[in-house]
Amino acid sequence: MNKRRQYLFFITPGFILYTVFIIIPILYVIYLSFFEWNGLTEMTFVGMENFKLLMTDNKIAPDFWSAVKNNLKYLLCIWFVVTPLQFITAYFFYVRIPAFKYIKFMVFMPYVISTTIVSFFATIIFNPNIGILNSVLKALNLPQGSWLGDPNWTFKIFIMIVIWQSAGSGMMIFYSNLLDIPKDIMEACSIDGANEFQKFWHILLPLSLPSCASIIIMSTIWALSVFDLPYILVGSTGGVKGVLDFVNMVFYRYTFGSVLNAQSNYGFGAAISTVMLIVIIIVTAVQNKILSRFEYDN
Amino acid sequence: MKETKTKGSSGQIYSKGNQVSRLLVSAIYIVYTMIAFFVLGVTFMNSLKEKGDLATNLFSLPKKIVFNSYHVLFEKNNIGQAFINSIIITFGGTALCIFMAAMVAYGISRYDFKGRGFLGGYFLIGMMVPMQVTVLPLFLIMQKLGLLNTRLGMILLYGSSISFSMYVFAKFFRTIPMALEEAARIDGASDFKIFIQIILPICRPVIFTMALITAVGYWNDFYMPMVLLSKKSTQTLTLMIYTYLNEFVRKMDVSFAAVVLTLLPVILLYCIFSKQMVQGITGGAVKE
Repeated sequence: MNKRRQYLFFITPGFILYTVFIIIPILYVIYLSFFEWNGLTEMTFVGMENFKLLMTDNKIAPDFWSAVKNNLKYLLCIWFVVTPLQFITAYFFYVRIPAFKYIKFMVFMPYVISTTIVSFFATIIFNPNIGILNSVLKALNLPQGSWLGDPNWTFKIFIMIVIWQSAGSGMMIFYSNLLDIPKDIMEACSIDGANEFQKFWHILLPLSLPSCASIIIMSTIWALSVFDLPYILVGSTGGVKGVLDFVNMVFYRYTFGSVLNAQSNYGFGAAISTVMLIVIIIVTAVQNKILSRFEYDN
Repeated sequence: MKETKTKGSSGQIYSKGNQVSRLLVSAIYIVYTMIAFFVLGVTFMNSLKEKGDLATNLFSLPKKIVFNSYHVLFEKNNIGQAFINSIIITFGGTALCIFMAAMVAYGISRYDFKGRGFLGGYFLIGMMVPMQVTVLPLFLIMQKLGLLNTRLGMILLYGSSISFSMYVFAKFFRTIPMALEEAARIDGASDFKIFIQIILPICRPVIFTMALITAVGYWNDFYMPMVLLSKKSTQTLTLMIYTYLNEFVRKMDVSFAAVVLTLLPVILLYCIFSKQMVQGITGGAVKE
């Protein structure tokens, strides 16, 4: 084999596989979004029609915009509730609160549990008829709730489940980055008489911002494309009043669930995916720009 | 302020005066971790109950320990097939993904060629675009290739999402001195032989770590199997649990047993290899 071309041998198989299943679908979904197609007959080019339909049609658009709103709400929860919680927990591990090894082990564990099973656990706890929560409340003579069936509670419970299931990974990344902070910086602080809060606020937090960047970008991407958990918890229509209806679920209903004119329109589904793709690209780029200001060269 | 200082073994210093608040924080987290014990315990316990016992009380200890639910699952509901499907798809997908990722990472990080930087970026796109966004074209491509409802299709799909593993491997390969390969090359070994016999053995820990978290992800995946495996004969464990969940009250007995069967492998793996798993998600960094 030609010495200079050896790298091709290593890269080509992976390149083909990756291109077919990862890259082509991205281009294909954008292409499809300009057509009307039921998957069987000829494709008709309709230009921006699918996007117009999605954003202005008086039957579809309300669904879409309410889902967009839910995605944003979820995103804000990730940024301002979940991420701070992850960081503070990582900090507690870093200062070695009693039993932190056990706590770390248990807090990360749900990460290896499938969303279907997590939803199953949620049923055990929150089901209004057989769940433990209402059983306990009943025994204590307190008012019971319908929890996931109650639009005032659905979203809050959803966030709690998200934290229980998936906050562990971010915590571990924060934690591992905290451990990377040079020990002598921390010792110098202590000698200078900085208290715990000052160390947290002036040293640990700013030095962790670079690792924050990648966590926030990844969790943002996942928040924008969330599907599994709400779908399994409350069904494809997003539960009572559509509180848990997200863009990806709208996509699923119209693409594979054939809600639109009782027949699938792949082009329309592709338009929803394309919008999501564009939003993900924009949000990631903007975040990259903003967060890179916090990068330090060390 | 109290002057007694204790040196934590990781090097940071905290004052003894904080001890009470530290204990308080710990206590809160320990209560929180009880949730996991509770749901896991209830599930395991209920999988060993008789159907009548289960219907009357979900949260008490079993009156009698029986393996009826498991029996029904295997005999009548054919969970064996789903189990085998999950195993084949998880192992096949993981093996393919890790091997491809290592090959690509090696090619990109060990050879100098035009377009190398571009390729590096190209292979990272997969990290930015979740499969949820491309599921429709994936469905159509699978259909066209005749891979819909096949385990092979799932294996190829999982084998193709190499971005994260590739990134970690490339990072690791950069730490291996070039001299190692050059010595072997002088001895006349081919590049592929060097890769298989020298490089892969060195990165056994990284391979194991990445394979572990990749496999757990595939074992647990729900969306892709739901869209791509609609035939009963190819469905995976997570799909089966999902169908039980939809008729939970009627199929309570088997759902608990099915959840235990699906959970057991990953929980066991986690108990043994929790450190490696954490290393995997933090990008292969070896710490502590």
